[in-house]
Amino acid sequence: MFKRYWKWLVLIVASAVMLAACSGKQSSTDDKGEGSSEKIVLTAWAWNVNVGALNEAMKEFQKSNPNIELKVEDIGRLDVYDKLSTGLAAGGTGLPDIVLVEDDRIHGYVNAFPKGFVNLSEKGFDQYKDVFPTFKKDLTSVDGKFYAMPFDAGPTGMFYRTDLFEKAGVKAEDIETWDDFLAAAKKIKEATGAFAMPLDKFKDDPIFRMMLNQRGIYYFDQDGKIDLTNPKAVEAMEMLKKFDDAGLIKDVDGWNGVVSATVDGSVATVPFGAWYYGTIVDQAKDTNGKWGVFLLPAFEKGGNRAANLGGSSWMIPASSKHIDEAYKFLEFFSTTKDIQLMAMEKYGLFPSLASAYDSELFTSGVQFFGGQKIWELFANEMKDIPTAYYTNDYAVALDEAIKAQADVFNGKDPKKALEEAAKRLKDRTKREMNTY
Amino acid sequence: MKKISLYITLTIGALISLFPFYWAFIGATNESGKLFSKQLSFVPGTKLIENVTNLDESIGIGRVLFNSLFVSLTYTIFSLLICTMAAYAFAKFEFKGRDTIFAIFLLSMMIPYHATVIPLFKMMATFGWLNTYKALILPNLAYPFAIFLMRQNMLAFPNALIEAARIDGAGEWRIFFRIVLPSMKPALAATAIFLFMYQWNSFLWPLIAVSSTDMYTFPVALSSLFGLSRIDYGQVMAGVTLATVPIIVFFLSLQRHFISGMLGSAVK
Repeated sequence: MFKRYWKWLVLIVASAVMLAACSGKQSSTDDKGEGSSEKIVLTAWAWNVNVGALNEAMKEFQKSNPNIELKVEDIGRLDVYDKLSTGLAAGGTGLPDIVLVEDDRIHGYVNAFPKGFVNLSEKGFDQYKDVFPTFKKDLTSVDGKFYAMPFDAGPTGMFYRTDLFEKAGVKAEDIETWDDFLAAAKKIKEATGAFAMPLDKFKDDPIFRMMLNQRGIYYFDQDGKIDLTNPKAVEAMEMLKKFDDAGLIKDVDGWNGVVSATVDGSVATVPFGAWYYGTIVDQAKDTNGKWGVFLLPAFEKGGNRAANLGGSSWMIPASSKHIDEAYKFLEFFSTTKDIQLMAMEKYGLFPSLASAYDSELFTSGVQFFGGQKIWELFANEMKDIPTAYYTNDYAVALDEAIKAQADVFNGKDPKKALEEAAKRLKDRTKREMNTY
Repeated sequence: MKKISLYITLTIGALISLFPFYWAFIGATNESGKLFSKQLSFVPGTKLIENVTNLDESIGIGRVLFNSLFVSLTYTIFSLLICTMAAYAFAKFEFKGRDTIFAIFLLSMMIPYHATVIPLFKMMATFGWLNTYKALILPNLAYPFAIFLMRQNMLAFPNALIEAARIDGAGEWRIFFRIVLPSMKPALAATAIFLFMYQWNSFLWPLIAVSSTDMYTFPVALSSLFGLSRIDYGQVMAGVTLATVPIIVFFLSLQRHFISGMLGSAVK
């Protein structure tokens, strides 16, 4: 009777064998990697251009450490967090030896999984306390202990179209305050039709965050209290509203919308971190030579114009079997000037290692930006950047701040919108709220 | 006259549905920034080969395409077999607690997938299956919706035929494979397409279960192209275009059965 079904049986058995064979091969190569004691293979999770930088640094590292190898898995930026959170929640299973994490998430991860990551201060990283700017040090350490090694940063600037400014007779050097910029932006709109800035008005608030950071405040204060009702925050929101009321903000759809506005010339400036340089030169090739950068305008004459947006650092999961090797390699990566310069030159990753800034790369002009020394501008900004306090409730706070911004653009009074957002945030996080 | 307006409506509908694919194709044939600029035309550009070459360099097209095809096809075959057998049992056998078990199966569809990811991940880690094809294929083999779909189709199968076969001396396996399954071709085709697409598009689980680049499936590999700021949209669009091809081929090859399956269940 079974004759009739031999076809099915053969199919099933064949597939099962195939399945077993494929997976068997996989695990046997894994065993080899761990079994031989001479070669140590470190694994790392990183995204995009960081992968190339890491691999190249390893080549240099191997010159003095020939027994260490590196396998970098190229993972989407947001996908890294899905994998990392799952692995940590499963008690450190399947995690790499090295993982790249954005600065705004470091405190959240360390607070949620206090035993999940290696305390780098215990390994001796404190000796490098003074080679990084203060804000970066604060972002990578929790309660005075380093949990991440600082890598790239995002000092902010106003990327602007020199041709549009010229056409409107506006000079970037004359813009010192946001009020100056408002007046200039009106002129530009009249003369060229270009908006001042792109913004996904109802879904993201990068400009608001830069304004908060530049004024030394953030969603939370140093003690973790909700600080959205700070008069400085209200002023920042009011400023955004002034731009919107004057029809100077181009409402765009997400990241792609910002890129689109950058490429098609419908906005005269894009306020972003230094990393936006890469996007401009990659996507807007036709506008070569027509760009410039100036610092964020201040809120009052002579006020602070430095802020940071973005940036990432390296962490070592505590489950790693090669903590010492990972530490040694990352220490080499993060504190070696030439490595940081390589990452900057080849991959546009702006270093936070202060000693890198006096090299030629930072003091020469950039042709795409009409010969302006933009890297010098960003480097000089670094030391003045105030610390932003993200906490482990950053994601919730971001959500509420965006809602407040949306309310403001829908006509609500900025002060009231921020007060309501702060109250909602208080309900959601059970944190204390500052009153003014 | 009525027919003409019907055709016009259908044509407009078809154009609207096809436009995203065409747009992806245009993107795949142009340089990254072009997609955003005002001079973008609707005539394909000249950068297709360059974009595909770059994409191959970034993700290794051959390998991820093989992974995706292998995983999706194996999954479809096994899952179809298991689900139809389960469906047959639920539809045609009387046993204690049958309907309760079936109800539990259906209810399990309501558990959000994200809630099961961490326990599943732990389980796979315990078995040592992380980063293997097993972890990609095995966990969802018994797929409640596919069982439900097949069961509903099998309910309509006349009991008299099964009984007649039993009287003639056919064993249960023989009845299942020789008598029931052949009449289920349309439903099988529909379920196969459904399972194939489910596995082909699956993203979160492959992302988490697999950790080395050479085990990536197509969607995971495509997602790795997204960094913070430097995204090559030409590569992304070339990848998206490529990723839709197998689904279209699979669908077209089963289309005849699929459409008759839809009509069939509508009449029933």
